[in-house]
Amino acid sequence: MENLKIEGTKQSPFVDFNASAGKLELSGRSIPENSFEFYNPLLEWLMEYAKAPKEETVLKVYLEYFNTSSSKYILEVLKKLKEVLKVEGAKVRVDWCYDEDDEEMMETGEDYEDVTELDFEYHEIEE
Amino acid sequence: MAKRKRKENIFHKEKALVQSAQEFIESDESQSLEKMREEFVLLTENYSELIDQITLITRISDRLQKKLDQTNDKLSVLNDTLNDKNIELQNTIDDLVKARVGRRATTIVFIFALVLFVFSEALIEPYIDTYADNIYISLAITAVIAMSIKPLEMLVENSMMKSARKKRLEIREEKAGKKDLE
Repeated sequence: MENLKIEGTKQSPFVDFNASAGKLELSGRSIPENSFEFYNPLLEWLMEYAKAPKEETVLKVYLEYFNTSSSKYILEVLKKLKEVLKVEGAKVRVDWCYDEDDEEMMETGEDYEDVTELDFEYHEIEE
Repeated sequence: MAKRKRKENIFHKEKALVQSAQEFIESDESQSLEKMREEFVLLTENYSELIDQITLITRISDRLQKKLDQTNDKLSVLNDTLNDKNIELQNTIDDLVKARVGRRATTIVFIFALVLFVFSEALIEPYIDTYADNIYISLAITAVIAMSIKPLEMLVENSMMKSARKKRLEIREEKAGKKDLE
């Protein structure tokens, strides 16, 4: 399976989904003009990945800011990631990173954890 | 138009599912209890997904609104402080202008009084000595000059203050005009 890498811009986040390592990363700002167009390839990639995932999959999310439509798609990304758990023995962890003074972003991570029931780890990043 | 298109795209999947469900209702397949059940399960799953999305979006949105409200409060306090400081600064500038104008007015009136005194001593005094020879007349003239100093100073000061205010107003309007143009 091919890896998925998208360079970040001022409006869209950096994406690095590495299937062979089981390491996925989503970071930066997410306010794309068209969230569907941006996130749909990610969702399709995850659907494929969920069929034959690595034993442990770690998604690192380090977002500075995202808009409402992105929040919907981030939830979909996490839900798709949850499907990995259907494969026997597969583990999924979300490393939710946030800037040290950004308490709201940490609380947002807690909301995602509540809704998806995935295993979240929180990392405060010093600026 | 572009914004509307974007909104439609956000719920692309959900719209497609609703359309599929509507097509199912209108089709012959809806007569089958088994197929109906499958469709109902699918709709329930998607409804549950939508509840998750709404729950999350509402929480994030509420938090953002709270943050926005707090930021507005902070801005309002800062704005009030800035206004107070501006008034304070304006008063200080007024005081400085008043002091500078006052000093200038005193100098002008002092020179004017000196000229008047010299004029009265050099030109009027010899006439009084020649025709009236009365010390009270010359004393009265000197007293009039002395007593006119203070009112004259106030008059000059007020006039100069008015002129300074007008000049400041013109500069302020000019600056505001430049800002508007920018």
